[in-house]
Amino acid sequence: MFRSTILRAAPAAVGLAIGLAGATAAIAHHGWSGYDASKPLTVTGTIKVAGYEHPHGYVRLETKEKTWVVTLAPPSRMENRGLPAATLKDGAQATVMGYPSRTDPDEMRAEWIAIDGKTTQLR
Amino acid sequence: MHPPEGPAWLVALESSGFAAAMRHWLWLYPFVEITHILGFVLLVGAAVMFDLRLLGVSPRIPVSDLARHLLPWSRIGLGFVAPSGLAMFSAHATEWIANPAFWVKLSLIALAGINAWTFHRWTFQSVATWERNTPAPAAARASAVASLALWTGVVTCGRLLAYL
Repeated sequence: MFRSTILRAAPAAVGLAIGLAGATAAIAHHGWSGYDASKPLTVTGTIKVAGYEHPHGYVRLETKEKTWVVTLAPPSRMENRGLPAATLKDGAQATVMGYPSRTDPDEMRAEWIAIDGKTTQLR
Repeated sequence: MHPPEGPAWLVALESSGFAAAMRHWLWLYPFVEITHILGFVLLVGAAVMFDLRLLGVSPRIPVSDLARHLLPWSRIGLGFVAPSGLAMFSAHATEWIANPAFWVKLSLIALAGINAWTFHRWTFQSVATWERNTPAPAAARASAVASLALWTGVVTCGRLLAYL
């Protein structure tokens, strides 16, 4: 009897977890899975607004075609890789390689960002 | 990423100095996340061990001894989890309030609390008759199954908050 109850409990717990994950995967947003890696983009523009914030930094990048909201890495990682807050300043020219969001046509997540000839990997 | 929009108290919370520090200080956010993880390791870990005992694992351990040993650790875990959770909530209050995972998570926590309270208030009262080497009553086993499922759901929703 003991074993059979446990055997019922384990699938209940795992099933709930998988169900919740499955039901929500379609609108995933922050992890890399929320971005379409089959459509890599490289865009160059001017930084208009920058946020050096947890959980992810971002810049609003004005390009010729459109203004992208570019999701970067956590600030602690950017700092470690040599991209301190001061480098993401308004008006700076930046080139970003990354992938478009599956849900927000104006958002992309950056694989790397190049500012003043210095490229920083963000993944 | 966007200026906070929503109910005034959430906007005020998110605009507070503490919430700003959560977003801007380099190591505060990771520190709070680590505190949250250590807290739920204690809280959920102790609950799972107790649930397994109710389901018949290690039947020689007296149930009330195990309860006295484990449940204080669950409460200590709660003491880590609640303030760190509130701290993270403050940093993204208006964003999270619109996130379905957040509401599911809060509901599951409420249900887990009711489940634990009901168990201790009613089912556990008769523990003297099923201390050891005796199957726990069906109500106790049902409560253990519910606890395992609910806490799994809470942790799942907590992680999914970042992906929705």
